[in-house]
Amino acid sequence: MSSADLTLPVRGRGNLVGMLMPAVVGVVIVAIVVAGATTSGFMSFANAKAILASVAVVGILGVGMTAIMISGAFVSLSLGITAAVSAMLFMWTLQYGLVPAIVMTLVCAALVCAIQGVFIGEWGANPIILTIAAGAIQTGVAVGLTEGAMVRPPDNAHEIINSTPFGIPLSIFVLIGFVVIIDCVFKGTFFGRRIFMVGESRPAARAAGMPVGRVMAGAFGIAGVAAGITGILLGSFNQGGSMQLTGTLTFDAIAATLVGGTVVTGGRGAAWRTLIGALAIGVITNILLLRGYSTGIQIMVKGAIVLAAVVLVHVALTGRGKK
Amino acid sequence: MSFAKPGSLTRKGLGQRAKSMGIPLLAVILALVGMYALPLYSDSEATSFNFYNAMQNFAALGLIALGVGLTIIGGEFDISTLGMYTLAGMVAVMAGQDSALIGLLAVLGLAIVVGGVQGLIVAKTGISSMPVTIGGYFLLLGAAGALSGDTTVAYENPDVGATLDREVGGLLSLRSIIALAVFALVAALLRFSRVGRDLRAIGGDRRGALLAGVRVERILVGTFIASAMLAGLGGALLAFSIGAARPDAGLQPLIFAVTAALVGGVTLAGGRGTALGICAGAIALSLLNEIFSILAVSTMISSLVFGGLMLLVVIADAPDLREKVQAARTRRRLASQDESASSAVSEGSSP
Repeated sequence: MSSADLTLPVRGRGNLVGMLMPAVVGVVIVAIVVAGATTSGFMSFANAKAILASVAVVGILGVGMTAIMISGAFVSLSLGITAAVSAMLFMWTLQYGLVPAIVMTLVCAALVCAIQGVFIGEWGANPIILTIAAGAIQTGVAVGLTEGAMVRPPDNAHEIINSTPFGIPLSIFVLIGFVVIIDCVFKGTFFGRRIFMVGESRPAARAAGMPVGRVMAGAFGIAGVAAGITGILLGSFNQGGSMQLTGTLTFDAIAATLVGGTVVTGGRGAAWRTLIGALAIGVITNILLLRGYSTGIQIMVKGAIVLAAVVLVHVALTGRGKK
Repeated sequence: MSFAKPGSLTRKGLGQRAKSMGIPLLAVILALVGMYALPLYSDSEATSFNFYNAMQNFAALGLIALGVGLTIIGGEFDISTLGMYTLAGMVAVMAGQDSALIGLLAVLGLAIVVGGVQGLIVAKTGISSMPVTIGGYFLLLGAAGALSGDTTVAYENPDVGATLDREVGGLLSLRSIIALAVFALVAALLRFSRVGRDLRAIGGDRRGALLAGVRVERILVGTFIASAMLAGLGGALLAFSIGAARPDAGLQPLIFAVTAALVGGVTLAGGRGTALGICAGAIALSLLNEIFSILAVSTMISSLVFGGLMLLVVIADAPDLREKVQAARTRRRLASQDESASSAVSEGSSP
């Protein structure tokens, strides 16, 4: 790729990727209309609340996944596991009070992920394999310590997290706040810009003297905080923490990030994109659920969406570049 | 073997080959020592049945290791093998209720489609294979769940499993012999045909290979078809053997496969690795797995050990770490040279 190739058409390519967003929003609206007209139970207040609750969880974890993807480490295949382990940790630490429990959970989750970021950024370890290994270790430790049992909360202090101010789940406010904060970090801080630069080209960032290991650790740290928040919400909602909470979370977070239009190769993306991606995934999952499709079909549809998103974004990015 | 002169290219090649087999063989030897030394650290000892069991495990997971390993040698990474392994078990059981052969053919046909489509996407668009095959993994895993309604499906023909698992020579079964034969076939193909050289070339330097006239697209598509077929064969034979197919095998098979490939001398940067090395890596891990089951170790410990082992090998494989270690070594050597040089100078200057 020549230097002219790198600088000139970026705006044009960005616009093409940007055009995916209206498409995604359009698909969501069409899906809502079609589903509302044909699926019984879709257009109800209770269902809207259910969708929002699942969008919150997938969205927050997806924003963490987005930080990883922008930094050029592609994805973590164990972020859902970290979320489940965080839920267990949160439930266990609740005995020290609500605020200490939240702080401890977030710090631990951030550290667990940041360490993975150091290996990946500093030494160039393969992110997919490293995160799978880290997931196996986390599962081993968590199941070993709890002997596979569900961790129950000591009291009802966590119920405040399940509250619904103005009739909307608290988790939605957390999601919106998290998206705003992370996008501010991405766009408005030195550290955030560095994540994008490392994601655009790691060798170039290294040549420019950037501390790639620390930047990657930071990006994974954001993902860890996201997993921690997800765990706190999930644990509170389910009145306990266990590995079962992992479910298809990792898949959903990856799908939300890709559908939002964050670029798999890194260097481009935004948290608000993932928010919209999570909305799309949430609506589609809900429709499939209401129509009684099996988990298998749901995963299959998400796989097809991921494949389509990967190929479409790639075509949108390179289509202009070739001219 | 040629009678090479000292210092000639062939000699160096032989040395490197010995070096590349060193770690996999060491792993097998360590695992064997662990197996035979069982009475020293536990109340049990290894019987020939345990070796038979280890080879049964090898027959299923070794084949995925070979499939994933081939794609890594080619500079790609096929995560969808995990989905293919799961779906293949389901398809084999459901399509093969009357005849195992039909089930097996259905799996291989499916593998050609799955590998072909993913290979074409990767080869034609140049998208990294990881996001493509993660999408493929979801699709295949979902398809296994959709076919079965998310439940375990039983295979009603126990004769097939009995035939596949009947002991041969105390250590092997028809199933593990099939797996070993497939390994031998792939090893011969990589060693003696152009395909092996081309695969390493596109893994080591894609652009260079293209310039040198390697038909990159064809090799890539072929590799993805091969990895899907290998994973599918492993999954299908396992499902016949245990007489059931599960809708989700978890991440464990992939953890085993990737660790086996890396222990076997494959590097994630691509361009390096042999089928024999992967075979040795897979046998070593199968033996380790069997030691765990003899010791009746909890799944938590084995998950920790296998996860930790995978973490170790992936960190040891990290390219920037190698570079750093090498740079540190060079610095130390230069420093010591400087030191001896300066001490020589000071000695010389002193009267």
